[in-house]
Parts: sequence; C-alpha cells; structure tokens
Amino acid sequence: MTDTEGLMTQQGADGGVPALRTDRLGRRYGKVWGLRDCTIEVPAGAVAALVGPNGAGKTTMLQMIIGLLEPTEGQVKVFGQASRANTTQTLARVGYVAQDHPLYRDFTVAEMFRLGQAMNPSWDQKLAAARVDALGIPLNRKVRRLSGGQQAQVSLTMALAKKAPLLVLDEPVSSLDPVARLEFMRDLMAAAADSALTFLISSHVVAELERFCDWLIVLCHGHVQLAGPADDLLGDHRLLTVPRATADSELPGTVIQRTDSDRHSTVLVHVGAVPLRVQGHAGWQADPVSFEQLVMAYLQRASLTIDADPAPAAQRPGPSAKAVTR
Amino acid sequence: MIWVSWRQHRSQAIAGLSLLAALAVFAILVSTSMRTAFSHDDLAACLARSEGTRCPAAITAFMNSFGSVVNISFWGVLLVVPGLIGVIVGAPLLGRELELGTWRLAWSQTVPRTQWLAAQLALVTGALVLLGAAITAVITWYREPMDRLTGHFINRAYDFEGLVLTAYILCAFGFAVLAGLLLRRTVAAMVAAFGPWLVIRLVVEFMLRPRFQVPLTLRQSCPQGCNATMGLDTVPPQTGHIGDWVLSVSISAGKQVATTYQPGSRFWHFQFIEAGIFVALTAAALGATIWLLHRRAAWTA
Repeated sequence: MTDTEGLMTQQGADGGVPALRTDRLGRRYGKVWGLRDCTIEVPAGAVAALVGPNGAGKTTMLQMIIGLLEPTEGQVKVFGQASRANTTQTLARVGYVAQDHPLYRDFTVAEMFRLGQAMNPSWDQKLAAARVDALGIPLNRKVRRLSGGQQAQVSLTMALAKKAPLLVLDEPVSSLDPVARLEFMRDLMAAAADSALTFLISSHVVAELERFCDWLIVLCHGHVQLAGPADDLLGDHRLLTVPRATADSELPGTVIQRTDSDRHSTVLVHVGAVPLRVQGHAGWQADPVSFEQLVMAYLQRASLTIDADPAPAAQRPGPSAKAVTR
Repeated sequence: MIWVSWRQHRSQAIAGLSLLAALAVFAILVSTSMRTAFSHDDLAACLARSEGTRCPAAITAFMNSFGSVVNISFWGVLLVVPGLIGVIVGAPLLGRELELGTWRLAWSQTVPRTQWLAAQLALVTGALVLLGAAITAVITWYREPMDRLTGHFINRAYDFEGLVLTAYILCAFGFAVLAGLLLRRTVAAMVAAFGPWLVIRLVVEFMLRPRFQVPLTLRQSCPQGCNATMGLDTVPPQTGHIGDWVLSVSISAGKQVATTYQPGSRFWHFQFIEAGIFVALTAAALGATIWLLHRRAAWTA
C-alpha cells in the first residue's frame, strides 16, 4: 500500500485537499467484514461513481463516509478533516440521499423542507423552493401523493439545500422506472454542473453512470478493485482480440479478463500509459474499452479470485493494486 | 427540533386530547348525578357525624347506584389504558423510523442522533406527564363523592389518583421506545412492551404494594358475636376509619376480630414508592435506549 499512499500525497499536492479520502477503512458486522482495507480518494469537484454488485459493501462505505456508521478500523477524511460518526461537524459536511430516498410520507413537501431548515443550520430555503418549483412539484402536496421520481427529487433537493460540500447518493435511481431514472440523472447532472459540489454516487447498474461520472471506484466483496479518474482508467485498458492459441505471457500488460471462443480470444488487458503496438502481430486487434466492459471485467475477476482463494484480492500484490495506484 | 417532534407526534397529540375530552364528558355526566345523589341523601352530614355508621341504608343505596359503574367497570378499562397510551406513543418513536428507513433521513441531518433522541424524549415525556396529570385530575374530581365513602387507598381508587397513573404511562412508554429500537417494528414493539408492563403493573399492585410498609393489625373483641366484613361496600371499613386500606379480616374463636390494614395516612408515602418504582423502570429503559443508540451506530437498510 506504500504506492497508494505515495500517489495520494501527489494527488493531494496537485489538486489541493481531496473532497474525500478513506484510509484503510473497514467495518465488521459480528465476525464478518462488510468492508475492509478500503483506501480511496475523490478530488474536490469530481462526480465519482461507486460501482459494485449488491452486497459489495457500498452502503456500508457510504454510511461511514456520512457519519451514520462508525468504522471498525481506518479513517474517513472529508476535505481534510477526520470524520467521527454521529457528530455535528461530520454530519454538516456531507449531504446524503439514502437508498429508496426515505421521506416522512404524511408530511407535505413544505413540511419536509421545514424539517430540513430546523435540523440544518446552513439550510438554503430559497434553493429548495426554487428547485421543486422548477420541477413542478407542489409544495403543499403530501409526500405520499408524489411519484417515485418526485420523491427522489425532493430527497435530492433536501441534500442540496443542506449546503454540504460533499453529496453522497446511495443507489439514487434503483427504485425508479426507466423514464424517471433518466430524468433524475439528467437533473442530478445539471445540479452537479451548476455547483462546485463533489458527488459520490453508488450504483449496481454501470450504464446509468457512464455518461456522468469522471471518477470511478469499483467495489466487490468488501474490497476496492479499481479506483481512479475514469478517463485514465479507460485509457489504460485495451480490449484485445487475439488468436486463441496466444498465451497470456505473450500479451502486453496484465490480463484482467480473458474470454475464449472457438478461434479467437477476447482479452481485457491493463497496459498502463505505454503505447500499445499490435501491428506486428498478425490477427491481433486492439480496441478501447467501454466503462461497462471495464467494470464487468474487474467484478468478474474479483469473483473468480474470491472463489479460488478466500484471501482478499486487494490485499495481494498484482494487477489490482497496480490499477488502483497507477 | 421542537417543531419536528411536534409535527411527527401531532396526530398522537390530537388523539390524546380527544381521549381526555371523552373521559371528561363521561366524568361530568356520571359525577354530576353521583354528586346530586350524594347531597340528596345528606351523606356528607352523616359522614361528618359518625364516619357513616349511623346511615347504612343511605350508603347502601348510594353504593347500589354508583358502586358498580365507578369502582368496577371503570377499573377494567383504566387498568389497560395507561399502558396502551404509553406503547402507542412509544413504539413508533424509534420503531417506525427503523421500520420505514426514515432514520437514514432523520439522523443524516446536522443533528447527531443522540441529540435527536434526547429532544424527542424530552418533548414526548413532558407531554405524557401533562396528559397523565390531566387524566388523574379528571378522575380524582370524578370520584370525589365516592372517595368520601371509600377513601382513595383502595386499589381501584389508588391506581388513578396521585402520582401512579402518570408513572404507569411513562413506564409503558419507556418499554415501548426500547422495544422499538430492538425490534425495529412498531406493532411488534407495542406488543412486546405491553406484556411485561401489564405483568409488572399487576405484580406491583397485588404482591408488592400491600408490603411497601409493614401493615398494622387491629384486634377487636366482640363479646356479642363477631360480624366482620370487608370490601368496597363496607363503610366505614372494619377499622372504623374511612380511608384505611383493609388487607384482611379474620375472626378467631368467635370472640376476636383481627384486621390487618394500611392506615390512610400512608397514602402519599405509598404513592411515592410506587411511582418511584415505575419512574425508575422508565429511566432504565430510556437510558438503555440512549446508550444503545449512541453505541450501536450500525443499521443496514
């Protein structure tokens, strides 16, 4: 992990204080670790995607970041300040939209905002009122009469009006229908573009984040598999199509995932910043990877590693660590 | 937080006030006719002269008219009502937040959850104390003519006058708040809190209360044959003083009556002891809730 720490310092020096930094963060439930050894960094102003299958530890991680949950080990820093669960200082720095966007169903929208005002010293009532007005949500309507998409919007509005510099959204669209998903993501990105806020958005559906996020964190089995700027991560990987007989050792870079078909193999490799030359090899073809291919490759690799060996993947040296620390 | 807590408990507050209003209407209707009968029969003068020994017929008539409705039917209802009030208010306080997932909203605002809970508990407990005091006042006023005949130390008056009724409500509330945290379900928490509350309530009434202080024993010899009775209708009680709580009466060899009793002067002492027991249970349950909520910063959705 020395590499990681070196990199973190560099990035900190480049981009000022990171909006979020977790340092070997872990949480144990009884004897089971829900999340372990999780070191990530999100620069200020980024829109970061936290991707992983259900049960990967995403909610655990987010709840430790916002101060709802005390880490068993490790530390969370938000804008350079260490977080402690259940304290005013920590809660004030992070806005949170929980999964399924819980609201009090017998409250009106205006009453939800009054609650926000009563419980947040920096509450921006103008922003809240203007935002639901623009969305066409009546202030005097009861929450239970709103559609799922509107409830999600009210939740997001409350998190924005809290005026916290870091916003954490846990599976914000998983309970919405496809149209509402699209609308919500569009509005979320408009809000992100209008503000200097940092966003951390978790999802188990990669596709819905692809167009919006400039930072990617892949979480699986309670460990970080891949983390960094989305463009760099995409640039560092290639999808090679090679004759099936080609051995892994002949391939450039590190093999992340290999799929063999009758005559060809499709291999996702991590090549780093080194220019890749395939002209010399007959029958080789190199393509850029998509967001989804990249995420799926790392998730599948994590599953295979776990199946083959109970030792956690991210603790072992190898391509995973390289990818994280690139 | 005051507004938040008020808004969340508004419908319960309205229900509580409606209950109080219904009780007051019932009390006014019954108590007015009871007061009319009491003065019509001139019971006050009789009680002043002889503690009721000289006017048994008038007392019997009065008891026949009102004894059943005031002392018996009402008791059954009021035995469970403080517990029901307590669990209905207490169980959702944490149980509903955890059941519906709104705790993630409530506790991610800029108010730490222990502060949130402290504010909620302070406001709701205060409201319950006011409600309990109001119910107690209504019942005390309502029973006043009856109490002049039976005293208020007998079980069916003692339970609703003084301090204990409020303490019963608080205890059921405390149990239900804790149960809501542990079970994370509103209805389950109501049931889980009500059962133990009722058991404790009855154990205290029938097993502990007679022994809060060592009872006194009065021995009376009766050369012309003993005629000892006890019960609500015995006015005055075997001790001859209205207000004494007779625990048992036994006749030995047909010549002597032994009456064990708690003298009426101990009423407030007993009220403080019993209210103290229930308030201590409340404090233990709420203290455990605050401690658990502070320490166990872990709930998955």
